[in-house]
Order: sequence, then structure tokens, then C-alpha cells
Amino acid sequence: MSLEIESMVRYTSPINPAVFPHLTLLLLGIGIFFTAWFFVYEVTSTKLSRDLFKELLLSLVASLFSGFGILFLLLWVGIFV
Amino acid sequence: MAKLRFYCIFLLYILIKCESASVDTISSDIRFKNVDRTIDISTQLVRITSKLTLENTGSTPVKNFLIAVESSAKNNAAFAGAKDSNNKDLRVVETTVKGYEYAKFWRVDLKEAVNPGATPQITVTLVLTKALLPYPTAITQQEDQLVKYIGNLYIYSPYYITSQKTNVILSSKSVESFTKVKPFTQQDGGIQYGPYPNVKPFSEKELAIHYKNNSPFLTVTRIERLIEVSHWGNIAVEEVIEIEHTGAKLKGPFSRYDYQQDHHSGPASVRSYKTLLPASASDVYYRDTNGNISTSNMKVKKDSVELDLRPRYPLFGGWRTHYTLGYNVPSYEYLYQSGNDYLLKMRVIDHIYDDMQVDEVVTKIILPEGSTSVKVNLPYPVTRLPDSLHYTYLDTKGRPVISFTKKNIVENHIEDFQLRYTFPRLLMLQEPLLVVGFLYALFLCVIIYVRLDFSIHKAEHPHKD
Repeated sequence: MSLEIESMVRYTSPINPAVFPHLTLLLLGIGIFFTAWFFVYEVTSTKLSRDLFKELLLSLVASLFSGFGILFLLLWVGIFV
Repeated sequence: MAKLRFYCIFLLYILIKCESASVDTISSDIRFKNVDRTIDISTQLVRITSKLTLENTGSTPVKNFLIAVESSAKNNAAFAGAKDSNNKDLRVVETTVKGYEYAKFWRVDLKEAVNPGATPQITVTLVLTKALLPYPTAITQQEDQLVKYIGNLYIYSPYYITSQKTNVILSSKSVESFTKVKPFTQQDGGIQYGPYPNVKPFSEKELAIHYKNNSPFLTVTRIERLIEVSHWGNIAVEEVIEIEHTGAKLKGPFSRYDYQQDHHSGPASVRSYKTLLPASASDVYYRDTNGNISTSNMKVKKDSVELDLRPRYPLFGGWRTHYTLGYNVPSYEYLYQSGNDYLLKMRVIDHIYDDMQVDEVVTKIILPEGSTSVKVNLPYPVTRLPDSLHYTYLDTKGRPVISFTKKNIVENHIEDFQLRYTFPRLLMLQEPLLVVGFLYALFLCVIIYVRLDFSIHKAEHPHKD
């Protein structure tokens, strides 16, 4: 059974397009911070002081923030994926 | 043997059934008491509006009646519509009549049956394209465009008409020649014929008018309309348009100097035209293969966005151009939702220029990746093309594309289609997670890389530090 148009609501994006720029800057900022932290940790730590768990955790946080940041960057510039 | 006979009978039954579905008969009960016809040939289109006074002379109520187009104009007929006296649209269906295969018929279904003796009024609109032929077929830059309209002096109808009048609207006062059948009167910008009493069904008599018509003769030979739906709150529309001046061809050279000096030079050419976009349109672009066409203007009005498009060169007869026009509209204007069910309500084709004629339109709708159970509801019959897939940013298995095509389109065809589909909302997370996954894989590569040892010689004291 198909629904009638009268019983449906107008669809809006789950995130208001007006906040795409702010979200991009915030998420990408945090993402870049964690990416930097990760790389600094990678080059300064030695074989002995290296902690795999910390590396995985840092990279996960960095990729999560950067990933969402890049998505909102795409939406901000008009690439509506 | 019995089985074979059964099949034969069954096949025959289906054949009869199929044929009867689209065949109508001409009712002898119907008469047109009075018909007031207006033929508007002031633009490149032929718009025939007939005010019919129907009369039921029989003894049973009549539910529908037929409108017809003569065989000479059969292939030009783009649109047929009907309205009742309350200005409400009536259902018009294409049909055929046995014995009159050479003509084209439509059946108008009335809202209320016409009782014997009743005389309701109905307005029928017919739009013909390419019915005005440039004569002469080629003109120089300075000349005016003369066109010839050849139609029917009488209303081509399957019914007896008691009285009929025809009013022809022209674009200018200068008429070279026209058919003179008494009674007629010629006023500035128009010719009135009639009343002609008691005309038999399917009467034909040539009506030829040769007159000046400098209105733009532009034909969109092909338009591809691409609608891309994004659940991040945007619908992108892109139209690839091929346009041609189909009036009298340009004879001799084209002088840009004369054209620029004298504003009256090239009266039959098209310098620019206006395209109306939806009021919510933003990020409009107008470009061709060379890049942006800067000679255009955009005006934001209350109920529309008006684009004044000026092609790179003026269009003379036989000249053509090709461009891309695109814009974004917010999803809340056209997309409706109920749970995981979505409904897209948009125009099959939008306005390109006033009195437009389009040879072929291809509308493609790109849905978000993962949309299923698509159903389209169209306002008039179109040819559905096979569904395909479209690949763009952050796609894995491709976005479903629904496409359909229609030939011979005019402004009356600007109507909404409804497209229903199902899309699980969680799938929206697929796109960001793809990016996250990709970045995480890169980080993992770094983590593995720092654990590899590429040195040529072994460290003498491996645990020195």
C-alpha cells in the first residue's frame, strides 16, 4: 500500500546545511590535531616505548574526526554525496 | 487438439480484448450546437482553443465525447486538453476509431453524464508544433520572416456542428494572403471566419494564411534533465540543452557590424531568451564546452528565478547552440518522507523559454545509493527507459537511475511526476564511514611500516637504545 502525499512530511536533512562550514572546521580541526599527535608519536617513539594500543586508539580517533570532517567539507563546497 | 483449439480461442479473445480497450465509436447522439474556435498563430506554436456547446440529441446520457485532428496535422499535435465550464481539467485519453485510422482521436471523459437535452460548455485546447512553415524558406539578415499556416477552415470533428465561428490571432498586421470564404472580416492582428451553419462531420476545407511572424522560432531538439537527490538536504538539477532556430534559414552572409549597429537588423533572429527556474533555485550555472557563458543575467523574483540567457552568438535560421544549465534546490521543497518511504514530486520538464517546443526530453532521476522498490507515477504517457546505475563520489555499488523519455513537448506538459522509493536512513552513514575506513587503513599502514626494518646490515647492538 502506498502512502498519500498528504500524510507525509517534508524531508529535511538530519543536519542543517547552514552548519556545514562550522562542522567542517570543528571536525577537521580535531581530526588534524589527532593526526598530528599520531605522527609525532610514531616518529618520536622507539621500538621499546611504542604502545600498539595507544597507536590504534589515536589513529581511530583521528580517522573518525577527519572522515566526518571531510564529508562535511564535500557538502560545504557543494558536492552533495 | 482440444488444447490447441482452446489456445486459439484464448488468443482471439485476448486480441479482441486488446483492441476494444483503445477503440471508440462515434456517437450519433452528440451534436455541437455552437463552436467558438480561436487559432492563435502569433507564436511558433499553433494553439487552437475551441469553446464547444455540447448537445445530447439522443435518449440516453452521454459520458464522453471525441475530439479529432485531421490527418495532415496528425503528427504535429503535441497536446490535447479539455476543461469544463468550472475551469476544471477533464481527463483526455488518446484513442482510435475504426474506419478513421488516418485521423487522430482523443476521448474526453466528462465529470457528469450529459442528459438528453442538456447543453454543457466545454473548452478544448489543442497545441500543434511545427505547423507553421517558413515561406520563403530562406531569408537574408535584414528580411522579415514570413510563414504559412495551412489548416482547416471548419472544425474537424466527428460530430455535426450547427454553428461555428473561427477567430485567427496573428502576430502582426501584415498579411500576404489568406483564404477568403464568406462571411469573414479582417481586423488588425486577426481574421474572423463565420458563422458557418450546419457543417457535416469530418468536413475539410483548406485555410491558408501567409503572414509575417518574427516571433522566435526556437526548437529544443534534445534536452537531458538530470535530477540528483541527496539526503543531505539537496536536489541538484542539470539540464543539457540542444537548441536550434527552426525558422526561415539565413541566406547570404552574416554581418556582425550591421547587427550591432542597427537594432532592427535581423528581426527573425534570437538574441536572448528567458528561462524561469523555481524560486528556491541557487548556485545557478550556465556553461557550454568552452566554459562559463558570461553574457547572462539572473533576477531573483518573488515566485521564480528569472534567467536572461544570451547565447554566445545570435541564433539565425538553421543555427544551433548547445549548453548546460544547472542549479540546486533544497530537498524540503520536493521530497516528502514517512518513515523509510520517500516521495519525490518534481516537474518532468521545466520552463526553458516562452512558447517552447521540445522535440525530445530525457529525464533522469538519480536516487541515493541503496534506494529500493522504486515506483513512478507520471501525469501523461512516456517511454520508460531501462534503469541504470550512476557512479559518483563515495559510491560503492552505484546509485539507481530512473529515466524516461517523451517526444514533442510543449509548455502544457510542465507537470509533476511522483516517484516513490524506500531508503533505510542508516545507510546515510555509509558515506562518512567509507572515508573513515579509508583513513584508518592509511594509519594502519603507517603502524605496520614503522615496525618494518629495511636496513641492509644488522644492527650490532640491537638493544642498545
